[in-house]
Amino acid sequence: MANFKKIAHINDIPLGKMKSFSLNFENIVICHTEQGFYAVENVCSHDSAPISDGHIDSDGHIVCARHGAKFDCKSGDVKAPPAVVGIETFELKIENDEIYISID
Amino acid sequence: MKIQNQDFIIPEMTPELKRGPKWLQDKRTASKKSYNNTPIPRRGLHLWRYTDPTKFVVDKAQVTDAVFRDNFDEVIKSELALFKDGHSSAFVLDKAGRDIAFHINDKLTADGIIISKLSDAVESHFDIVNKHLYAQVNSNTGKFEAMNSALWNDGIFIYIPDGKSVEKPIHLLRESGLDNSAQFPRLLVVVGKNSEVTIIDEYSGGSEKQSDNMSLTNSAVEIFGDVDSRTRYISLQRNGEGAKVYLSHRAKAEQNASVLTVPLAFGAAVSKQNFGVTLNGTGADSKMYGLLFGGGRQHYDNHTLHHHIAGKTTSDINFKVVLKDKANSAYTGLIKIENEAKTCEAYQENRNLLLTKGCKVETIPELEILNEDVICSHGATIGPIDPEMIFFLKCRGINKTEATRMIVSGFVEATLKQVPADLKEKISEFVTKRLENI
Amino acid sequence: MSESLNKQNQELSKLNEDYESKYGFHDPVDYFHKGTKGINHEVVEMISKMKKEPKWMAEIRHEALEVFYKKEMPKWGNAEILKEIDFDDIYYFMKPIEAKKDDWDDVPEYIKKTFDKLGIPEAEKKFLGGVSAQYESEVVYHSMQKDLEKKGIIFLDMDSALREYPEIVREHFGTVIPSTDNKFAALNTAVWSGGSFIYVPKGIDVGIPLQAYFRINAENMGQFERTLIVADEGARLHYIEGCTAPVYSTNSLHTAVVELKALDDAYIRYTTIQNWSRNIYNLVTKRASAYKNSTIEWVDGNLGSRLTMKYPCVQLLGEGAKGEMLSVAFAGIDQHQDAGAKMIHAAPNTSSRITSKSISKDNGRATYRGMVKIHKNATGAKASVECDALLIGENARSDTYPTMEIDNEQVRVEHEARVSKVAEEQLFYLTSRGLTEDEARLLIVNGFMEPFTKALPLEYAVELNRLIELEMEGSIG
Repeated sequence: MANFKKIAHINDIPLGKMKSFSLNFENIVICHTEQGFYAVENVCSHDSAPISDGHIDSDGHIVCARHGAKFDCKSGDVKAPPAVVGIETFELKIENDEIYISID
Repeated sequence: MKIQNQDFIIPEMTPELKRGPKWLQDKRTASKKSYNNTPIPRRGLHLWRYTDPTKFVVDKAQVTDAVFRDNFDEVIKSELALFKDGHSSAFVLDKAGRDIAFHINDKLTADGIIISKLSDAVESHFDIVNKHLYAQVNSNTGKFEAMNSALWNDGIFIYIPDGKSVEKPIHLLRESGLDNSAQFPRLLVVVGKNSEVTIIDEYSGGSEKQSDNMSLTNSAVEIFGDVDSRTRYISLQRNGEGAKVYLSHRAKAEQNASVLTVPLAFGAAVSKQNFGVTLNGTGADSKMYGLLFGGGRQHYDNHTLHHHIAGKTTSDINFKVVLKDKANSAYTGLIKIENEAKTCEAYQENRNLLLTKGCKVETIPELEILNEDVICSHGATIGPIDPEMIFFLKCRGINKTEATRMIVSGFVEATLKQVPADLKEKISEFVTKRLENI
Repeated sequence: MSESLNKQNQELSKLNEDYESKYGFHDPVDYFHKGTKGINHEVVEMISKMKKEPKWMAEIRHEALEVFYKKEMPKWGNAEILKEIDFDDIYYFMKPIEAKKDDWDDVPEYIKKTFDKLGIPEAEKKFLGGVSAQYESEVVYHSMQKDLEKKGIIFLDMDSALREYPEIVREHFGTVIPSTDNKFAALNTAVWSGGSFIYVPKGIDVGIPLQAYFRINAENMGQFERTLIVADEGARLHYIEGCTAPVYSTNSLHTAVVELKALDDAYIRYTTIQNWSRNIYNLVTKRASAYKNSTIEWVDGNLGSRLTMKYPCVQLLGEGAKGEMLSVAFAGIDQHQDAGAKMIHAAPNTSSRITSKSISKDNGRATYRGMVKIHKNATGAKASVECDALLIGENARSDTYPTMEIDNEQVRVEHEARVSKVAEEQLFYLTSRGLTEDEARLLIVNGFMEPFTKALPLEYAVELNRLIELEMEGSIG
């Protein structure tokens, strides 16, 4: 059962930006791209740094500030080294402009 | 919802800064400055790679007076009964580092052993306190040690004069408040020449669930073992599973002194604990037997340090980790042998047992050896219970649950041997409870 | 004592010159091209133009230079020694001759002499399938046996490979080590020159080793070779490289990037003996990607240099991939060998083994810095690490910093490390049997290194033991 929790308002995260949150001790980053809002874990799979320190590039990929690893916001898949595996994603929904995410 | 990376300064008007005589107030103020001027540690930094330091930041304005758990009065009653039955030679009830009550066996008092409030000892035993307080855990140790150094309200002072042995353990129960509480307990132990003592330092209470208002316990422990002394220090952290715990421990062993440290951790949502022993005198010996058992989403980050400053010193660490569910543990253990510390021996072992899918382990056993005249080794292993062992026990008619329990009991046995029998029983109970539903 | 060790020790006694006369000489050279000191976009553009390389590579270089500017120096390793590096006081590109030669007779006399002294042509005749010799920034001599060429094996210097096989280079370049990885990888990507390119087609076994030799001759020189090795499915190869430099009072920089790719079922063994003079900062990034059921083996010897920071890495990306690392480091006076290995398990049933041996002598410092990472998906992974450190001298220093990050419970990870000195009992035993203390100590050190030397071709084992003997001279403290 998806257990959604309100985490932010859509206006909190401007287009092309991301913001980090902590929910249930899970570190989460919400990304706002042309395609919409996505939630992924806020940890680079390369060396555990928070990816929220990085930026979102023109392809809608999160670019880690430390070593340039890239991840797809939507699928969490790795898009550029030095990371070799993807990151976790979380289910997200928007109701009345509020962002909810689901954590088991 | 809290946003990360927020720092709060300790305001000038914080009442704790005015606690104690002038010299202490000055130290508190200096520690406050140091805290306020030190940025939150960067995640890339060595000892902060695995734990988010913002978890230990607290907005003093949001902190409320500690409210204790429902069954706390019963706990006190049963602990007092145990003391009266002679299970411990002293029972100290430390409520949120503020209100501290003492129950001490008369024999101890007759022997000149002091167990008192640190705030009293600051005046009554000025020489000893002044010499030792902040000597090992202070604002230079780190940002959160600076926080405790500035904000401790009251602490516990234990002084064992030369040549005295305390037969039964001294039991400290350090109770944290529920949600929205923040406590800064502090302990100073001075063990005289050729003296002997066992201290059980038990941390309990605190938030029971994870929320935005989780309790914070930031504790500092300083232990001094003089020439030929024998100190056994057991740290038992069994806080509520929503508590945030930061513990910084340092002990110093002088010539031929021995220190046995037993860090045990079962509680808290997130706990970062730092245990260090400095081998300061020739022939000093330190042993550490650690054990943690994490479940749910608990996060543990333990650091141990054996620092050999004097020659002919020996150290040994055996740190065990058992995890289930989504719990995770990071362990960093450093053995440092200085250039002047010739003819030393140092050993370190870290074993990690992973019981279920989803748990996570980091281990970094480190060595820094600055002279050739040493024997030094370390080892680490990580893995699940050997399926062959389960199979072997099953063949003998033991079901899987029971087999797992037996194997885990065997795994933790070496550590539990180091603690007094009634405590061992208590811990075995935790372990058994944790093994339910696997 | 084993017979082979005995033999090696006999060899050793015959070879007893020092680094100065054997490798430490330098040639007075009139360079075909010697740029100016310092690094900027003009220098990058100049290198790119001289090489007449495609535009996409020039873009990669310029972007990498921007990354280099932005990246901080590493805070670990040895920050003090790293501070000594003055990036403005280094030549980033020196071209000794106009074009590389494929006939040894055409190589200019002074360079030929250099490599003759180092024994390169001799080795080629004896046991190598191909040889590449790099002098400063570019490869000056290159050859490969004709029958290997016929099998479709490509073994070229990187500059030629970019000209002749731009598509293969483009497909793989920077895919294992991006310029954003670290400051030195960025620097290499911006100014790289020379290095080896190897492509082994599907199912081909090269059989005999291919070798490259890197020589820094000039003062204040930066050597930035770039090596890319691709073993296609089921291919097998052994690549060997060696490095030396003259002894100068000022320092030079060696910053290589080496990328290996072993596709499914392939096997790559990469052997390197770096024997730099004491004035070289050796800061290299080496990493391999191992796909399904492939094997990568590193055999890594680090001698000499002022500071070496080097952590060869295997990324085990395909199920059943294997990584093995066998390394030895020798840190003598004023030297810091900060070396190690990384094994990244990112697929099920992958396995890795790291064996690291280090010797610290006098005030030398040897550091093992390693990482074993097991990702969530790497069920059934096995990893073992063994570090052995030998200390000789009361001011010798040894550090061990192994990191293990384990994200899956169905794994076996083991780590062991030991630090000790040469045991008095062993010394006593050997001296009582008529050995001098020096000989006894050397024998013990050689015994300590044996697992490593055994993995080398005999010629290299002998050479390594000889080098150790040089380092050990007068070690009685």
